[in-house]
Amino acid sequence: MRSPVLPLTWHLTRASGRRGVQSHLLAAGAAAVGAFVMLVMIAATVGAGVRADRTAWRTPEPARNGTAVQALATTYVRGEPLTVVSLAQLPDRAATPAPPGLGTFPKKGEVYVSPALAELLHKLPAGQLAGRFPKPAPHASYGTIGEAGLASPDELVAVVGRAASDPAMSETAATGASYFDQDQAARAVVAGFSGTKQSLFTYGDQAAALLGVVLLAMPVVVLSSAAGRLGAARREQRLAALRLAGATPRQILGMTALEAAAVGATGALTGALAYVAALPALAEVPYGIGGWYPGQLWVGAEWFAGVVLAVTALITVSAVSTLRQVVSSPLGVAQQANPRRTRMIRLVLFLAALAYIWRSTGGGQLKGRDYVVLLLMFYGAFWLVGPWVVDRLGRIAARCARRPATLLAARRLSDDPRGAWRTVSGLVLAGFAAGFFSVSMLGTDGSQYRDQVAVITANAADARHAAAEARTLLDRANVNAEISVVPEDDYDSLLGGSRGIVAQISGGQARLDTAVTALASVGSGHPPYTQDYATAGDRSIVDRIADVSTATLALSFVVATASAGLTAAANVLDRRRVYGLLRLAGTPLRVLDRARVRETVLPLVVLAGGTVATGVYGSYKFNHAFGASLNVSGALELAVCVLVGALAMFAAISGSRPLLRKVTADPAQAPD
Amino acid sequence: MTNPVLAGLGLVKKYGSTVALDGVDVSVGARDSLAIMGPSGSGKSTLLHSLAGIVRPDSGTVLLRGEAIDKLSEERLSALRRKRFGFVFQFGQLLPELPAEENVALPLMLEGVPRRQAVERARRWFAPLDLDGLEHRRPGQLSGGQAQRVAIARALAVEPDVVFADEPTGALDQTTSTEVVRLLTSVTREQGAALVMVTHDADVAAHCDRVLQVRDGRISNYTQFTVA
Ligand SMILES: Nc1ncnc2c1ncn2[C@@H]1O[C@H](COP(=O)(O)OP(=O)(O)O)[C@@H](O)[C@H]1O
Ligand SMILES: [Mg+2]
Repeated sequence: MRSPVLPLTWHLTRASGRRGVQSHLLAAGAAAVGAFVMLVMIAATVGAGVRADRTAWRTPEPARNGTAVQALATTYVRGEPLTVVSLAQLPDRAATPAPPGLGTFPKKGEVYVSPALAELLHKLPAGQLAGRFPKPAPHASYGTIGEAGLASPDELVAVVGRAASDPAMSETAATGASYFDQDQAARAVVAGFSGTKQSLFTYGDQAAALLGVVLLAMPVVVLSSAAGRLGAARREQRLAALRLAGATPRQILGMTALEAAAVGATGALTGALAYVAALPALAEVPYGIGGWYPGQLWVGAEWFAGVVLAVTALITVSAVSTLRQVVSSPLGVAQQANPRRTRMIRLVLFLAALAYIWRSTGGGQLKGRDYVVLLLMFYGAFWLVGPWVVDRLGRIAARCARRPATLLAARRLSDDPRGAWRTVSGLVLAGFAAGFFSVSMLGTDGSQYRDQVAVITANAADARHAAAEARTLLDRANVNAEISVVPEDDYDSLLGGSRGIVAQISGGQARLDTAVTALASVGSGHPPYTQDYATAGDRSIVDRIADVSTATLALSFVVATASAGLTAAANVLDRRRVYGLLRLAGTPLRVLDRARVRETVLPLVVLAGGTVATGVYGSYKFNHAFGASLNVSGALELAVCVLVGALAMFAAISGSRPLLRKVTADPAQAPD
Repeated sequence: MTNPVLAGLGLVKKYGSTVALDGVDVSVGARDSLAIMGPSGSGKSTLLHSLAGIVRPDSGTVLLRGEAIDKLSEERLSALRRKRFGFVFQFGQLLPELPAEENVALPLMLEGVPRRQAVERARRWFAPLDLDGLEHRRPGQLSGGQAQRVAIARALAVEPDVVFADEPTGALDQTTSTEVVRLLTSVTREQGAALVMVTHDADVAAHCDRVLQVRDGRISNYTQFTVA
């Protein structure tokens, strides 16, 4: 015999009227938001990896029977890194293959530039940028580096063909000339471009984006299960009718699963397709070195299907498990016999985790990855302690409550602390992330080198000679500068312990770029550099984490607000009987409504306040270990964010007020 | 019955073409109990809702101690239900997260009685309703009969003029039903309130002073068990 479940489901779905359609739309919308948000963050993670691999050829890979010299250097223009790859074919050796993005191996004097650099060369006077490269032969122009050699369309990259005897190719120019060279300069004799080391400017991208995926995963799970609950709460209304019509609990659960899966899959697929449609727009969003090439942000069929299936499964499981509690109770009312107690062990583990983190960060000397692990631990600790705090908060509030609305809200908090925690967790943890990161958007300790240009020289005599030369060149370029010869052991200078000169420039960024360009030929062959060069190592990670945190914060707000709204609506539907009967007995709706708002606002204020403070403290530890100072405007930004988030949450809860009015308005609620 | 507490006169209520009430006259006095019986869809609930100020009749009037209540504003009606009426429904009327005593104290707190006093007054109802020791239980931890007795305590806590009960034993077994309805009628009478109860169970109805049979919106039969 054919199962009647499928046609019956279809019939009921169609017959469920306007409110049914609305709740389906809400659930599908939540699924769409969840799938979209997850796919975007996963895309950033996958894309960041693909992109970073595209930069690997620039760091030379030493070869035993090398055929060419490759030198990597980094210079900054307008504060942006410009990667310069110098190549020189060794005489009497086999030909070297062309580097990625170029048709042939560059000959001496040839310069190839990325499109973004070409644009900048066109825009800026030669004295600020073009002068740093060999002049193209008369009537010749720069070559173009193709997509294969670039990680982002916005990247500034140059490939310069030189003679092997060029000072820029020398051992001293590239390796260890400066304390700050790490990952920004390198030199080796190579046979090709098989390097595997990702550039300094991309290698932290993926880990930071992954952090975003992890931070957003829980809010999306909460959103999906809220969507599932909403469907089930509405389905419960028809439960009695279905039973009278002879449906067995199994069939009712089957129908619910089918309906939830259909709604969830439709929504998740819509969100996933929206992600695909948004790919061109997403490619424009700068992350680290800039925007993206089309295709880099495509997550692949596995991730695409995986996210759609995961969101659908979450919604289905949540709908079925919600309804099962009702189906199995004889009166068709979800009743919890015992409040779910939260145990003290949660607090103990939380404190243990905090103590561990505090100890680990105290010593300094931690790598970026350790921080990610610690951050995740921090996050997990909050999931552990959140329900416990909500439970305690409920009991304290219940003891102090004077008004019925407060008493109701307080009792509800300790009745289902996990549920209450889930509702506010998105915003609370976003608040934590915000507290942590907004304060992390720091100015690294390097501001003392502002407006300085450093030139490394081989020895003290060279330094004096270079100072004179620099004076002439800067005068010619119309740059006001104070030039000092720095002794070798001055580790506090921009030279970081190398021998050379430092020029203090006045007149701002354009003058600084002019000075860097003018001094290109001075010194040992190591390009002149600025504070940007010195701080690049720290900033490459911190800036990326700050980027991700801003995105995570914005997305968490959206997700958390959506799930708070859905949960509030589902709660109303779950309790429509008792609310309806209370209203019949003359209980003012505004008391019930106030209780609803308070049961969210109370934990939100306490927990969000607590986590933001902890986040700020954590950030302080984090910054401390990186030797950086706190950012005050970040703290202000944070306060505004949390306020806006709380207001949005409040609005989302108030959004179900008409629903409350409506489901309690019908006296037919009372049984005959 | 010279001075009825509550009286409905010529009550008519139509839903579209359905005539739910077709000119019903009914009254109850203090300590008086009235059972309304009849087949499903005959208009029992509509009658109870009209008397309780939940539904406004199309014509006819409802008098509470001689004052018409059917013209009051929604706000005033709601306050009236809260202060002067008590309600017992079939099931699911207790807030699941509140302990029994707070469920009973809730209507008092809504009236502005301070919490401690409200809970104290609520507790006084536990002994007469055989609920001793259950003050701190939550509805999920109570049996069906116990939950209904807590609901009765809540209905009586505000010391109402009239208690309305719509199928108060509808979800209970026979033995429990008898016990609940016995307590409902006796405690309501002791308290000095009138009782209006809808039921489909003749044994339950027999605990009341009078029984009304309703059919198609009209009173079809009227039985007086005891002399008031
Ligand atoms: N809100 C309503 N809208 C439309 N029809 C209603 C409504 N309430 C009751 N009715 C109709 O009025 C008649 C009496 O209903 P009711 O008083 O609930 O009967 P009983 O409680 O005796 O089963 C029924 O035909 C019912 O369908
Ligand atoms: Mg009825």
